[in-house]
Amino acid sequence: MVNKLVVGIADMKMARNEGMLITYALGSCVGICLYDPLIRLAALVHVMLPINMETNRKTPLKYADTGIRETLRQMEGRGAARPRIVAKIAGGARMFEVTGGGSLGNIGMRNVESTHMVLRREGIRLLREDVGGTTARTLLFDVESGQACVRSYGKPELIF
Amino acid sequence: MKNYEELNGLELDTIREIGSIGTGNAATALSSILNCEVRIDMPEVRIMGYNEAIEWIGGPEVITAGVLVHMSGEINGIMLSVQQLEFVNMVLERMMGRTISSYEELTELDRSALVEVGNIMISTFVNALSGLAEITTRLTVPAFAVDMQGAILAVPMAEFGGQSDYIMTIGANFICHHQAVPCRLLLSPDIRSLNFLLKKLGVLDGQ
Repeated sequence: MVNKLVVGIADMKMARNEGMLITYALGSCVGICLYDPLIRLAALVHVMLPINMETNRKTPLKYADTGIRETLRQMEGRGAARPRIVAKIAGGARMFEVTGGGSLGNIGMRNVESTHMVLRREGIRLLREDVGGTTARTLLFDVESGQACVRSYGKPELIF
Repeated sequence: MKNYEELNGLELDTIREIGSIGTGNAATALSSILNCEVRIDMPEVRIMGYNEAIEWIGGPEVITAGVLVHMSGEINGIMLSVQQLEFVNMVLERMMGRTISSYEELTELDRSALVEVGNIMISTFVNALSGLAEITTRLTVPAFAVDMQGAILAVPMAEFGGQSDYIMTIGANFICHHQAVPCRLLLSPDIRSLNFLLKKLGVLDGQ
């Protein structure tokens, strides 16, 4: 039985050597798997918004920029080395086609753009991604193999 | 400006009352569409953290239908009608004379019936609310999605996520033919609108 760790919204979990990191129902949210293959340390963070503009920053994991940086900091604290860390991301869909609904429909896209930008700035290589579209995704990450899997409603499973 | 989790008892009671009037009107509208008696039980107002809200609605991966409308004008926010399978079947049975066992069986016509029912209930709710507080509110064209309910519920969360770590929902159970059918009609105003609304109704404490 593989040890399963569930990551909630605005949440992050880390696992080493083996186990499964899972986050359910990513809509416009983005799930970011960060992985150091040499020491088999994996982290999965589920962010909801692109950029942290809070003044007191109570919840860094809610935002792509502070969420990724906080996760990297904790990974390095457990022995990961920046040049080895790679990323796989999923999410950023547009759940509702709203006309004249302000920024609502674009949150997913902005989350993905912000994630790309932060990964580039932090020098993290983005290996694969499954983003955009209009369907929700459940993202699983196998710590031992470094393989990610996306489950969506009415679609075959995607392994990447 | 008061955030969701800072509301006192009187303010919560007022919101519950708004919920009661809104869902009451929505039930009347539903009753005339479906041509059967529809009652509501005690509406509940909940202020929940994100993950708590998703557990409350029945888990993230359960597939559900959602009708979403954006409100703007004096009140900004989102209204969402979450239509779980039981509710969908109640509507389809009365309107189309058939039921489904999974969302994949929905036809184009079924979908437009569900959008229409959701839209009418939301509009009735918002009209009642606007009348009560003497405000004007504009609504967008309804959008429809069938997907994991965690992702559907995350839409209002993401919209107001920069303002709060909590989401406020107002919901009630509908009782049709003595059978309780959970119908989640969720009103999520933004923080500013919530304060404006409470002030308009004369109950905002300490400002």
